[in-house]
Amino acid sequence: MTALSALKVLVVEDEALVSMLVEDMLTDLGCTIVGPAAEIEEALKLATTADIDAALLDVNLGGRPIFPVADALKARGVPFAFASGYGEAGLTEDHKGATVLQKPFREADLRRVLESLVGQTA
Amino acid sequence: MVKLAETDIREDGEAVLRARLARLEGVLADEVRKSETLARVTEAVASSNDIDTCVQVVIDGAREISGAAFGAFFYNQLEPDGESYALYRLSGAAPEAFASFPKVRKTEVFAPTFENTAVVRSDDITLDPRYGRNAPRKGMPEGHLPVRSYLAIPVATRQGEVLGGLFFGHPEAGRFSPRDETLLVGLGAQVAATIESIKLNTDSRAELNHRRKAEERLKFALDSGRMGSWDLDVATKAYEASDLCKANYGRRPDESFTFADLVATIHPEDRPRILAAIETAIRDGAEYDVEYRVVHPTGELRWLHARGRAAQTADDGGVRRLAGVSLDITERKRAEERQKLLVNELNHRVKNSLATAQSIAAQTLRSVAAPEYFRDAFETRLIALSQTHDLLTRESWAGASLREVFDVELHAMAGEDRVSFDYAGDVRLNPKAAVALGMGIHELATNAVKYGALSTPDGRVAVEWSQQDGVLRLAWTESGGPPVTPPARRGFGVRLLERGLAAELSGGVELTYDATGLVCQMALPLRALEP
Repeated sequence: MTALSALKVLVVEDEALVSMLVEDMLTDLGCTIVGPAAEIEEALKLATTADIDAALLDVNLGGRPIFPVADALKARGVPFAFASGYGEAGLTEDHKGATVLQKPFREADLRRVLESLVGQTA
Repeated sequence: MVKLAETDIREDGEAVLRARLARLEGVLADEVRKSETLARVTEAVASSNDIDTCVQVVIDGAREISGAAFGAFFYNQLEPDGESYALYRLSGAAPEAFASFPKVRKTEVFAPTFENTAVVRSDDITLDPRYGRNAPRKGMPEGHLPVRSYLAIPVATRQGEVLGGLFFGHPEAGRFSPRDETLLVGLGAQVAATIESIKLNTDSRAELNHRRKAEERLKFALDSGRMGSWDLDVATKAYEASDLCKANYGRRPDESFTFADLVATIHPEDRPRILAAIETAIRDGAEYDVEYRVVHPTGELRWLHARGRAAQTADDGGVRRLAGVSLDITERKRAEERQKLLVNELNHRVKNSLATAQSIAAQTLRSVAAPEYFRDAFETRLIALSQTHDLLTRESWAGASLREVFDVELHAMAGEDRVSFDYAGDVRLNPKAAVALGMGIHELATNAVKYGALSTPDGRVAVEWSQQDGVLRLAWTESGGPPVTPPARRGFGVRLLERGLAAELSGGVELTYDATGLVCQMALPLRALEP
């Protein structure tokens, strides 16, 4: 129904309730969920090996920054967006300018971000 | 006879000569005595360093030289009436002699002295035409020391400022000679010079004292504010730093600290900015007000705040010196950073909480059978979340214990007293784990109250946990309730427990629908739980 149908999206989110919400939204958008990963190690493994089209990354995983995962995705050329309560302020210099979804966000916001991410690579 | 006569004449002449010689010797001795006195007085005057002593030495000495019965010095201190002069030193008379008239009026007799116009020497002042012309006394007041011989000498600076007058008197007439007048006028001049120099000294001492006190106050203020002070000579780059200023740069008071040392101590990233600020302050005479990092010789990084301004302007209008203060603001900077982090963290938590509430709302809406059940279900969950937050807030978000989380979530629930606990040790939970487990426990308890063991009067719940090999094993076992069957569709609670909680806490959560009641078993790694 949209360009997002069958899009495989890696979800990295360490809070159960938020993660469930994102899953529901992605399911509604017709995407396939990879993960969700709540820990850096698992997220890194999926980011480097899993078959994914895009990723949505929580900036802070239980006090540990997500940036190694972002770097791995960048290296693979997988587009990603940060989902964060910190907004742009929580990003390191390397990632300033990256797409950020400010929590809380609506399904429409997620759709727009994903479309722009996929558009970048298309 | 002749012989006799001759002898007589000779003897007569010799007697006369002897008498003359004796008189001359007397005069000479007198003169020598006066000279000695004069020398002694002069020396005493020159070495005195307070005015009263100086004046006393002079009137005592002058009385000795002139043979005056009384001597006095009146300061030229105009009384508020504008006409009289205050006494202040006496010789040859007790102070009581003047007690009833301690002031002198500028009458015709006294005017030449207080106006510095002339010396007044009179063999008998009571015969002086200027004497006795002033009402009401018409002469010396009753009880005044008896004065006939009178000598008054003005004491004035070379600039003509009248400091006072020296007055001498004797009850007999004709006691003061022109020679006495000359000597005493000389003394008067010395008194004037000495008073002047003492005043000057006193003034400069007071000024010095004042400055010293001001400097002490400044130093105290700087020290109590932990402020260092510094001074830069713009042309020579000579730099002076107070002990505290040196300490701000990690130097001991006895260490040398040049401008080059200062520049080298500034953090390389801040150096260009600071040098530019110094340059601007010198060029435009602008205020110098900067914050920068310094690296102490020990390698320690500190923050300093320095303020300064042009302290002296050169003839060409440029700045010659730059002076100011420096203050170690490391603690303030750290507090600012901590505060910034805290505000960011708070913002993050608030946003996450909103996202959590959003999730609860969305999922509650999906799982309720009809919209009218939404409100109750949503509010109950929101309050469950809020209760865990309250618990964490009480402990400054450092964490909470597993038992505490159970207690706040079960609090005020029907059948709360039918939940039993069995565990060896409580478990500390980090805030995230506490929030997640809090929601999970809430779902279990609500389910038990609605459909499970706590929905009947005899049902019970046993909560047991143990820790082994870094894993927390927890079991929620219901018994004595109605028979249970697996739900037809997975609701919010089941999904949260089996999927959400398991994923978030990197463990496993299993729900079994035993015939005797629901059993929820969790195996959670402690590393995901502990603060």
